[in-house]
Amino acid sequence: MSDTMHETMNDRTPVIELKHVDKHFGSLHVLKDINLSVQKGEVVVIIGPSGSGKSTLCRTINRLETIDSGEILIEGTKMPQEGKELARLRAQIGMVFQSFNLFAHKTIIDNVILGPMDVLKKSKKEAKEEAMQLLSRVGVDSQANKVPAQLSGGQQQRVAIARALAMHPKAILFDEPTSALDPEMIGEVLDVMTKLAREGMTMLVVTHEMNFARRVASRVIFMDGGSIVEENTPEEFFNHPKSQRAQDFLNSIQAH
Amino acid sequence: MSDKRTSVKDALFEPPGPKTRRVIRIATVVSLAAIAALLWVVLRRFYETGQLDARYWSVFTRWTTWRFLGKGLLGTLEAAAVAGVVAFTAGFLLMVMRISGNRILGYISTALIEFTRGVPTLLFIYFFFLVVPKFGIKLPAFWKVCLPVSISACGVVAEVLRSGVNAVPKGQKEAAQSLGMLPHSVFLKVVFPQAFRFVIPALISELVIVVKDTTFAYVVNFPDLMQNAKVLISNYDALLSVYLVVALIYIAINWLINRASVAAAGRTNRYAVPAGKKQ
Ligand SMILES: Nc1ncnc2c1ncn2[C@@H]1O[C@H](COP(=O)(O)OP(=O)(O)O)[C@@H](O)[C@H]1O
Ligand SMILES: [Mg+2]
Repeated sequence: MSDTMHETMNDRTPVIELKHVDKHFGSLHVLKDINLSVQKGEVVVIIGPSGSGKSTLCRTINRLETIDSGEILIEGTKMPQEGKELARLRAQIGMVFQSFNLFAHKTIIDNVILGPMDVLKKSKKEAKEEAMQLLSRVGVDSQANKVPAQLSGGQQQRVAIARALAMHPKAILFDEPTSALDPEMIGEVLDVMTKLAREGMTMLVVTHEMNFARRVASRVIFMDGGSIVEENTPEEFFNHPKSQRAQDFLNSIQAH
Repeated sequence: MSDKRTSVKDALFEPPGPKTRRVIRIATVVSLAAIAALLWVVLRRFYETGQLDARYWSVFTRWTTWRFLGKGLLGTLEAAAVAGVVAFTAGFLLMVMRISGNRILGYISTALIEFTRGVPTLLFIYFFFLVVPKFGIKLPAFWKVCLPVSISACGVVAEVLRSGVNAVPKGQKEAAQSLGMLPHSVFLKVVFPQAFRFVIPALISELVIVVKDTTFAYVVNFPDLMQNAKVLISNYDALLSVYLVVALIYIAINWLINRASVAAAGRTNRYAVPAGKKQ
């Protein structure tokens, strides 16, 4: 991935940092005092049972969800609440959704060039050239002129990754990117993500793919009931989970 | 892909079995017979009352008649097109106000939408015909038709557009936001284009209503198709024949509008999610 680190900043400033983040949905306390940082080049995998707040955590990072208290910093800059500043910071964080969310009214190539043209003000020609490179990197360049509905789920998700990459993000958030896919398509998406990780992309990945977590994660975070219960290297976490809740969770997914 | 989509008919009804097919066949024959009988009765009455006499129809052998009707048709089309554009623009603005999240704008827009939807077009026509001139505002007859007709339609257009916006999945907006697009770009480049495609059929129905509403032009003496028909009728005393021909012309216009909408829908089908595919 592009190594455009013009900013003169401390090497240890995390790309993403959450400090004491709390959030409620009505009376439901979904995020409880979340502290988390993701360093440049790290791949942090978040696992945990359904409803534990993983998606909400992901979505607060680019402010698709607001937070009640605490703060979220992107390379040391506090996430603004609205307007151009918010948009500018959002552009630096890519997001890949469980349901792909490709723009249904646009062709594949137009999906990828919209951000670069609208936000980065690139020319159509420049944006298209780069988009084609990105599409071939994720292996869907032959589909460039089709519309999303004509592609398989796996292809759509790879386009979504290309669309995120086209913004040259400082990090990409993945919220269960393979959960909506038929089993035979999961591999092709995970392969693309693994390649990205190897190339040094900073990634925060919510997933149930434990093999991916074992192989690719720099760190695993286990969430339950809105809290971070455990945080460790993949080897330690999978082989010697410390908390009872993590042990139960791992047993429950190995059970089937 | 569009062939994989289930049509509304397929979704609502099972394919008929042999028994149902027989019932359908019988019902078809019976209703065709009923329609034929009715037509015969009507024609027979026309014949008996002399409405089919050549003198009522000879008016159509003169090409000046057709030219006069053609002029009226042009007036109708012009008024309908302009009223359609004005109604769409006003409806779009009302819709944006309503979904803007600003409470005051929302109330104003809701009030205007309910008002324009609730009041019959004819009352707006009378307002522009009788009340507006009292304030010393002199509008050409063309606008005395177009404005009331568009006002009467704009509330419906606003609600139709809003239902389209609500039908766009939330993920589309979120994907655009996470690219760093500004709110107006998100709306204009991602949400609204999809909303618009969803509601093309409903907008077309409203356009048909606009075309029909322009017939109120006779109130303000704007020479549309209806007004010119009335002139012909009083000049030639050919009530039935002229109305019949004019009705056919209106049917033709609205049929063409509907054909256009089917064509437009066919083109946008390409973007639909095939049935049975999760997104
Ligand atoms: N928009 C919302 N409004 C109310 N409750 C929500 C909303 N989104 C999520 N929740 C609730 O918050 C909790 C955490 O949800 P989520 O972050 O999606 O969990 P996960 O991704 O770990 O399955 C769940 O109990 C869910 O029902
Ligand atoms: Mg989730």
